[in-house]
Amino acid sequence: MTNFIEYLLGGLGSGAIIALMALALVLTWRATRVVNFAQIGQAMFTTFIALTVQEISGSWFVALVAAIAAGALLGVVVQYLVLRPVKRSDTSGAIIATFGVLIALQAAAGMIWGGEQEAYPQPFNTAGISAFGREWPISVYDLVVIGVTIGLVVGLSLLFTRTNLGLSMRATAFNPEVARLSGIRVSRTLTIGWAIAGVVGAVAGVLVAPISTLSPNSFDILLVFAFTAAVIGGLDSLVGAVALGVGTGLVISLVTGYSDSSNAPVVALVLLALNLLLKPDGVFGHTSSRSV
Amino acid sequence: MLTVSDLSVNYGPVHALSHVSIEVPRGEVTAVIGANGAGKSTLMRTLAGLAKAAGGSASLDGNPILGRKSEDLVRMGIALVPEGRSTIPELTVEENLRLGGMWRSRADRATSVGEVFDLFPVLGQRRSMGAATLSGGERQQLAIGRALMCDPRCLLLDEPSLGLAPIIVTQILTLVKRLATEANLAVLLVEQNAVTALRVATQGVVLNLGQVVMAGPAAEIASHDELRHAYLGY
Amino acid sequence: MSNLMRLPGARLVAHAAFFLAIFLVLMWFMGGADPLTMSNVALAAMYATAMFGMVILVGLSGQVSLGNGALMAVGAYTFALVSMNWATVPIIGVAMNGWWAMGFALVGGIVFGLVIGGLGARLKGPYLAGLTLGIAVGIPAIANRFPDLFGGETGLLLTVPYPEGGYLPEPEEGFEEIPVDEATAGTETGTETLPTEGEGADETLAPEDLLTVEDLGGDAAASDAASPEVLPTEGEGADESLAPEDLLTVDDLAADGSAIDASPTDVPSADVPVDVPADIPVDTLPPSTDMNDPGFLIEYWQVSLALIVACFVGFVALNLVRGRQGIVWRAVRDDPVAAAVSGISPAWAKVSAFMISSVFAALAGGVFAQLLSYVGPGAFPLGLSLSLLVGVVLGGRSSLLGAVIGALIIVWLPNVVRDLSDGRGWDEQVTNNMPNLLYGLLVVLVVLVAPGGIVGSIMAGVAKLRRTRREVEPPAAAIPPAPAEGHTRR
Repeated sequence: MTNFIEYLLGGLGSGAIIALMALALVLTWRATRVVNFAQIGQAMFTTFIALTVQEISGSWFVALVAAIAAGALLGVVVQYLVLRPVKRSDTSGAIIATFGVLIALQAAAGMIWGGEQEAYPQPFNTAGISAFGREWPISVYDLVVIGVTIGLVVGLSLLFTRTNLGLSMRATAFNPEVARLSGIRVSRTLTIGWAIAGVVGAVAGVLVAPISTLSPNSFDILLVFAFTAAVIGGLDSLVGAVALGVGTGLVISLVTGYSDSSNAPVVALVLLALNLLLKPDGVFGHTSSRSV
Repeated sequence: MLTVSDLSVNYGPVHALSHVSIEVPRGEVTAVIGANGAGKSTLMRTLAGLAKAAGGSASLDGNPILGRKSEDLVRMGIALVPEGRSTIPELTVEENLRLGGMWRSRADRATSVGEVFDLFPVLGQRRSMGAATLSGGERQQLAIGRALMCDPRCLLLDEPSLGLAPIIVTQILTLVKRLATEANLAVLLVEQNAVTALRVATQGVVLNLGQVVMAGPAAEIASHDELRHAYLGY
Repeated sequence: MSNLMRLPGARLVAHAAFFLAIFLVLMWFMGGADPLTMSNVALAAMYATAMFGMVILVGLSGQVSLGNGALMAVGAYTFALVSMNWATVPIIGVAMNGWWAMGFALVGGIVFGLVIGGLGARLKGPYLAGLTLGIAVGIPAIANRFPDLFGGETGLLLTVPYPEGGYLPEPEEGFEEIPVDEATAGTETGTETLPTEGEGADETLAPEDLLTVEDLGGDAAASDAASPEVLPTEGEGADESLAPEDLLTVDDLAADGSAIDASPTDVPSADVPVDVPADIPVDTLPPSTDMNDPGFLIEYWQVSLALIVACFVGFVALNLVRGRQGIVWRAVRDDPVAAAVSGISPAWAKVSAFMISSVFAALAGGVFAQLLSYVGPGAFPLGLSLSLLVGVVLGGRSSLLGAVIGALIIVWLPNVVRDLSDGRGWDEQVTNNMPNLLYGLLVVLVVLVAPGGIVGSIMAGVAKLRRTRREVEPPAAAIPPAPAEGHTRR
């Protein structure tokens, strides 16, 4: 039982990061009905940029800001590349375009920074906290990650529910035509949505890099976990993405703890497949337009 | 005044509208009636910037409107209530209304949410409920309310009677007529339900297969038996 | 001609003749080609085999899948496990050989295609792409999960049934610890990882040297590097370790209608060093004393195998695409509801497309296993699935010819880039990543401006040309009827 609790605690940090990545996927899905498979490539690329900035400036925070700026910019660029097939209602084309961007970004990163695994500096202590006479499986860094995630989620939900921009984004996601007829600049709103997703992904990248490694392909598995979380969460639901993201992190931590870390992707896949079979719209989903 | 002259719209090889000319004066309701496939919705979508014209021109108070984006047309004063589901059920009633006014600065918003609630009291009672919970008639009121929030000079209504009980239709159309006179709106009303539409309209236009077959005072059209039999089917 | 084509089976015969002709022509060309070209063509044929399936899946049925690399792994592992563990074909009892093993790979493809396709048929667009992406990323995990069966990270070294007298690959550089004579003599080296039992062990082939993922570079390209380094078999040693039934022999090839009987003598065995690119060290080339041995290059055998499978799969694909099933797939892709009310089952259409593409991928995987003589998680990275998608999109999403062009691009672009970078002082990491960067950018470009890919664009261009030519002639009457007299007053 103590093991169980320890594994759960240990999964919170990575769960928060998966939640952020899932959130980024949901944001682009809501904006344009495209799952941006390039999201992980964008996050990887901006994290490399952050690493470079970190090496120059020596400041973790400046690097984070650089990643955020680059993430927003990259989000806008990718959106312009993907939106045209969407307008042509070429769904396959849009998905393929995101994979094209992913391939290109990974190759570009390999060109610029090389294919080696790089270590990202750890800004806070990643060792377990010692308190109440024992060491806990959660570190100061995990707490920072969880804090940043909570901050982002709260900020985003305030943005969506309390501001005009958030309302335009929701209206555009649900019914672009009515949004347009209400005078909302739909394409600008979509672009902002992708920029925000880019920012969230960039933050996730900078947060995950210190506790894993950084290479052009090292985040691929994070995409699988995040996609699993986003889909089980319903793809449309921010709450669902966050809840299931943390949940996926916990499950992975349990699987790793009780068996072996190599089982984690298999478990994620089984969860995804089961969910797609039993509840194709996800736990938090509220659209049923996916049937024929 | 909304002026449409010689407007043609094609869907591929199909001529959805050919050489249509209509004038919609401020302060009154102009009804466009015709059977299914007459080109009524095409006309509305073209005027609202959702479909592309192949020829002709259209202007609002002298400013040309064809070829502009919907977002810009809203800013020029054209508000369309499209056919069918023109509310967003995932948003609340109040959010649906706020959408319409968002493009204006707060101080500039001539029509406040409160005024719409005065017009449609039932919406006021359900302001924080999801639009999905509304009945068909309430949703149509909400759609019109959203369009009014855009503070239009010209209101385009596409088949507001669709799927509604006759008594609700009469209520809504009477209100539309009142709005036209009180707010000095140019209202273009497209209807399959000719009797009710011609009752509130001052002028009427009959469309058939994309062409205007008759235009004139609403009363005259309503009493034109041959026309009724040939194009309106009653 | 068009009447003739309506005769029952006429189209089948025409397609068969078409692919047979292609096969013969290519084999004739291969007779005079250098080993490097042969391995590249073999690789391209293998890619084309899998991409025919991608055309059906992505182009015709509109399902974007990244699982086909994984399904190739299914075929490759099935091939490897069956040919290594079973001396005879179960039930039938005949001796196992390469073709039987390919048959099992096909069955593996059907089974996995049905399972994944069944899951996927419920899913539109991104859901299927994401699920299959997960499968592609998860493959190493599955191989590691059952290391006893799948050889874990290390993979399985395969005993490919090379033909009698063919050249066997020499262990790669860095294998000096295994003496060449020991490796070629078929000793017990590596039997711990190769669970071969009594009789089976006799029939397995030398060399059983242990390849690791690192040695292969975890990359399909490793086969390019390895294959030119060939070594002639010591006559008797090979005869003893080879069961004749196991082999795809020259006669087998000839029985397939190939006019290759002349080719073995055409193979410029003594001239190999001349044709081999300069970057291969001369000392790894076969000793010239053995070059007079009759027999042919292992690459020749490889390219024959890959082309036989590719042409057969292409033949099946062409019949499906041009037949009733092709119409069904397109109908479901374009309008599932309309297809459903016309009596087509959209679910079955999707599953069948997935299954067919899965079978093709599995067969390609079986070929891949034989080209590499190795099966391991490193040979089936996510990049493999992505390159299948890239090739099909660039060539033309809904054209079988596009798949062939795509396969050629995938195989040759890296070589072209390497040639270009030679002597230009490009950084190694720039050169290595340039092909992928180009793939990615080209894919995005194609999706944006020419969704039909190379073939689609050419066909659209031709159609446009025809249309403009027709428009010179007097135009047909306008479609809508003459307008009724209307009286517009305003």
